[in-house]
Amino acid sequence: MKTIVKITLSLFTVSLLFVGCGNDATPVTKESVKPTISEESLGLRKTNIYTEAPETTGDVTNYSKNYTGSGKTIKRAFQDAPPMIPHDTDGMLPIKIKDNQCLNCHMPELASSMEMGATPIPVSHFTNFRPTHNYDGKMFTKSVDNMKNEISIKETTHLQGARFNCTQCHAPQSQGKLAVENDFEAAYTSPDGAEKSRWSGTSLSDSLDTIKGDAGKVTAEDIENKDSVYRNMEH
Amino acid sequence: MSLSRREFLKSSAAASAAAAVGMSVPTQLQAQASQAEGGWRWDKAACRFCGTGCGIMMATKNGKIVAVKGDPAAPVNRGLNCIKGYFNAKIMYGADRLTKPLLRVDANGKFDKKGQFAEVSWKRAFDIMEEKAKAAFNEKGPEGVAVFASGQYTVMEGYAAQKMMKGGFRSNAIDPNARHCMASAVVGFYQTFGIDEPSGCYDDIELTDTVVSWGSNMAEMHPILWSRVTDRKLSDPDRVKIINMSTYTHRTSDLADTEIIFSPQTDTAIWNYIAREIVFNHSESIDWDFVNKHIVFAAAAPNIGYGMRKSNEKSIKEGKYTPAEMEIISKEMSTVVSQKEAPALEPYGYKAGDTMVHNQPGLKHWLIEFEEYKKSLEPYTLDYVAKISKGDPDESIDSFKAKLQELAALYIEKERKVVSFWTMGMNQHTRGTWTNTLAYNVHFLLNKQAKPGDGAFSLTGQPSACGTAREVGTFTHRLPADMMVKNPEHRAIVEKRWQIPTGTINGQMGQHIMRIHRDIEDGHVKFAWVNVCNPYQDSASASHWIKAARDMDNFIVTSDGYPGISAKVSDLILPSAMIYEKWGAYGNAERRTQHWRQQVLPVGDSMSDTWQWVEFSKRFTVKDLWMKDVKVAWGKKTLKGISADAVKRAGYTPDTTMYEILFANDRAKTYKIDEKDPIQAGYDNSECSGDSRGVLGSDGKEFKGYGFFIHKYLFEEYASFTRGHGHDLAPFDVYHKVRGLKWPVVNGKETPWRFNTKYDPYAVKAAKEEGHPEWTHAFYGGFLKKRPQGDLNGIKKDLKLSYADKPGKHYLKNKAKIFARPYMDPPEMPDENYDTWLCTGRVLEHWHSGTMTMRVPELYRAVPEALCYMHPQDAEKFGVKQGQLCWVESRRGKVKARVETRGRNKTPKGLVFVPWFDEKVFINKVCLDATCPLSKQTDYKKCAVKIYKA
Repeated sequence: MKTIVKITLSLFTVSLLFVGCGNDATPVTKESVKPTISEESLGLRKTNIYTEAPETTGDVTNYSKNYTGSGKTIKRAFQDAPPMIPHDTDGMLPIKIKDNQCLNCHMPELASSMEMGATPIPVSHFTNFRPTHNYDGKMFTKSVDNMKNEISIKETTHLQGARFNCTQCHAPQSQGKLAVENDFEAAYTSPDGAEKSRWSGTSLSDSLDTIKGDAGKVTAEDIENKDSVYRNMEH
Repeated sequence: MSLSRREFLKSSAAASAAAAVGMSVPTQLQAQASQAEGGWRWDKAACRFCGTGCGIMMATKNGKIVAVKGDPAAPVNRGLNCIKGYFNAKIMYGADRLTKPLLRVDANGKFDKKGQFAEVSWKRAFDIMEEKAKAAFNEKGPEGVAVFASGQYTVMEGYAAQKMMKGGFRSNAIDPNARHCMASAVVGFYQTFGIDEPSGCYDDIELTDTVVSWGSNMAEMHPILWSRVTDRKLSDPDRVKIINMSTYTHRTSDLADTEIIFSPQTDTAIWNYIAREIVFNHSESIDWDFVNKHIVFAAAAPNIGYGMRKSNEKSIKEGKYTPAEMEIISKEMSTVVSQKEAPALEPYGYKAGDTMVHNQPGLKHWLIEFEEYKKSLEPYTLDYVAKISKGDPDESIDSFKAKLQELAALYIEKERKVVSFWTMGMNQHTRGTWTNTLAYNVHFLLNKQAKPGDGAFSLTGQPSACGTAREVGTFTHRLPADMMVKNPEHRAIVEKRWQIPTGTINGQMGQHIMRIHRDIEDGHVKFAWVNVCNPYQDSASASHWIKAARDMDNFIVTSDGYPGISAKVSDLILPSAMIYEKWGAYGNAERRTQHWRQQVLPVGDSMSDTWQWVEFSKRFTVKDLWMKDVKVAWGKKTLKGISADAVKRAGYTPDTTMYEILFANDRAKTYKIDEKDPIQAGYDNSECSGDSRGVLGSDGKEFKGYGFFIHKYLFEEYASFTRGHGHDLAPFDVYHKVRGLKWPVVNGKETPWRFNTKYDPYAVKAAKEEGHPEWTHAFYGGFLKKRPQGDLNGIKKDLKLSYADKPGKHYLKNKAKIFARPYMDPPEMPDENYDTWLCTGRVLEHWHSGTMTMRVPELYRAVPEALCYMHPQDAEKFGVKQGQLCWVESRRGKVKARVETRGRNKTPKGLVFVPWFDEKVFINKVCLDATCPLSKQTDYKKCAVKIYKA
């Protein structure tokens, strides 16, 4: 509903301006404007940038002190967005090859067996999307054809190495005011989209054909580039 | 390849027809899902951020982005993104997006440099830009009109800017922020290979046994490449070794088998140590067959300064620099050789205490014998290198030595594949070009370069530093596809293609990005336009440049999506369409070019940078820009105007606009807007067709579009320079059907490993032409291939090297170079007053100056402020406490930051790290604008500071 209102308003403004243009060939001959916006009012730093006044400091970090298993979660920002970390991570990082403490609670079998309600690592993290190419020590060849956008999706039983660095996508969140609001509006494809990843099964490969049907295939004509005047222009 | 039940391999076109992908999904749930996604449109795009160049899938609904996911078909990242990659979804929706042009005015609405901002129309914005650019051009010539360009331009934007600057204004005062990030890598490529860009590709990661990260926190800065390294490591933990070379401990150390904490700048010594181990102690590991066929040896002068201002420059003479600043800047002219660097400089005839006069041009180099190269390596014994390079005072010298030995042994081990990755630690370095070439030395000696799983691989920082800044050539010295402004033949080629008269392009260059700042401070540049970058936050010695922007008689324009520091110090701010609000293409670090379509309409009245350049071009005619004699070379030379005859012969009149010549010409108009074209169908194109916003354009009337497909035109014209010259790009349409291709793309096939005759058609061709079809490699790059001969101390006119036919210039066709390069101190090092090293850089969650990522709630909340990472015992020594504010002060300025002694970065005693994304912790005021004298890239990784309680 909110969106619709906005669109209507902006259309209205545009049409007003348009009418204005239509009535007058040179509508903006004299713009009368007033200096109302100060340099300091713009951007993230609202203090003078030429000096370092006492009040110029970074926004203090204030991560949640919630203990793990407090049951608090942070809503996913949009469908299948990586969830942020709702609990204190003190003492749990860094992640080392032989010591990834995140897994102690978030591995699916552990997460589901525990009362504390840790978010289970979803099936996408157990899925290998990377094709193994062929290399015999002499010649490298691809096992999938990139010209056809071929994919290789393999469900496995172990956490994928590519997803071992949890903090690459999941971060603790500082409490308090934002520097600037954000007008992004979340949309979810399932009622529990803010809580759960739905990226599995067929949806993993859904909509990858961004130009539908035969039109999306690379043809000999495409490679020949025959419609481009620069096709054979050499220097 | 066999398909098991759980393994599916198919084209994405067929994907939607598949019922399941290795797992069952309840039918009901599936139906629900597809219903809810009904109003969604998914399309492929490239990530906005780092040089990795991940592919994303992006969903729009009702004209707004609603979701992003990793693209399973994208070869770079295969279904995975990092935190920034996912939050591309939100970067365009910060509540303070710029929606209208803003101009500083007085109470009467007239432009006033000291005024506050007022919203103005696009017409008013272009009127004042036209007036100010013309005044600057008429007063100072082409050099008076400058552009801060970008490695984040789309290919088309960069090409449009380059065309109008070099073809229109005859100005080479265009240089990108990529100068700060990649320039040392580029000069390294030119000097070593004679052609820009890496030999390898990301598939090296899955094929190698060893990853050595040099001055590159890949885990945070190239997270998806790091996820591939991690996957490789976990797949064979005993065989695969990871070494992290750094000046402090960071996330890349977390998965490393060994981390080597070295003292800032001494990476040059460590590379030479490895080479010395090879040459002196493991000569059996040298592949002489490879070296003799494909490599020569080279040297250059060491006394080349540090890229700072020279004593005769205007602002220095006028006293704009304080005595404290001058303590360091004076080293540009001469230094006293220190005990630390003396052994390394001994083969060049220097000893400790000698005065070194810095008066040699850095780029000049000449060929030498292997024995001379060997002589240059002699000082780098384990004892000497360990002594100067051990970076952690708490580590024992024996432990450090053992690590250096382990490092050398891994490189040398015969059956072991090794990839060396690096980024800013090696590039942002007052000897950055040298250090880049040192990496190739080691790989060449061992024949571990340009092979699957083997190679020295420079990672790029920005999403299109390779694709736009370097390949398009938005540098002061470059033209498209590795052509050079200085080369008259190259200028002629470009002039012909652009259909502009011979002699239009100015052969005088030199205004690299720091020079543009300095020229503004000196009053030489009077008009500067900031495009897709934030030079007033990202440049070292920042106080000078923000002051020059505000206090000098000049006109600064910033185009941006959000008001960053650069916008704030400007006279005019233009609201720019952001990445998914326009058609575009980026080129990543493995030479992969990726295109995307316009996903949504721009916010407010914002329009793309391409549009802004094209509209600007309408304001200038042939007689305005081409027909006058103008001053160049800082007033020292005259560039002749184009005669009326020549203008006429080219088919123009004195009143023809640059728009008609450069952008809306007959060739351009052959690229049609066509709703039946499956690539264009259903997608907006704000520049070509206008859009439903009805934005009032540069003439005050509703902008209804150019009527032709300008992005395709710009791309195809640019691509025509690359084709047939080893940089070949595929046709525009092909890129819209695939997930990017690695150039050179020849007959529809991409090139994984360059210079390797198994994979690179240009190498095959070169080997054949040379009569050696059996060659494994051909380093066919054509630049800097005719070099004089000499020894470590200089050119010797009568000398004939063992591999040359005669004295004088030797043509090293199809060969690459190994360089003798000494360790040298940086110009500023800790002393009694400023006792601590300062290193700056990025964090995972923020991109560069934070203008986008600080406005994404999840990213902001992850890291809301720039912290000062320091050793707990240093904190105690300085009298500062965890979580409390401290001052970080250098000879140039000071800022406050909160102390962090327990975070993700752990510094050794004597070094602090402060990232630069935070406007409120304006750390570039503290940094020193010393650069590599060859590449002009700033060293942000080292200067001297003191820390005290705030």
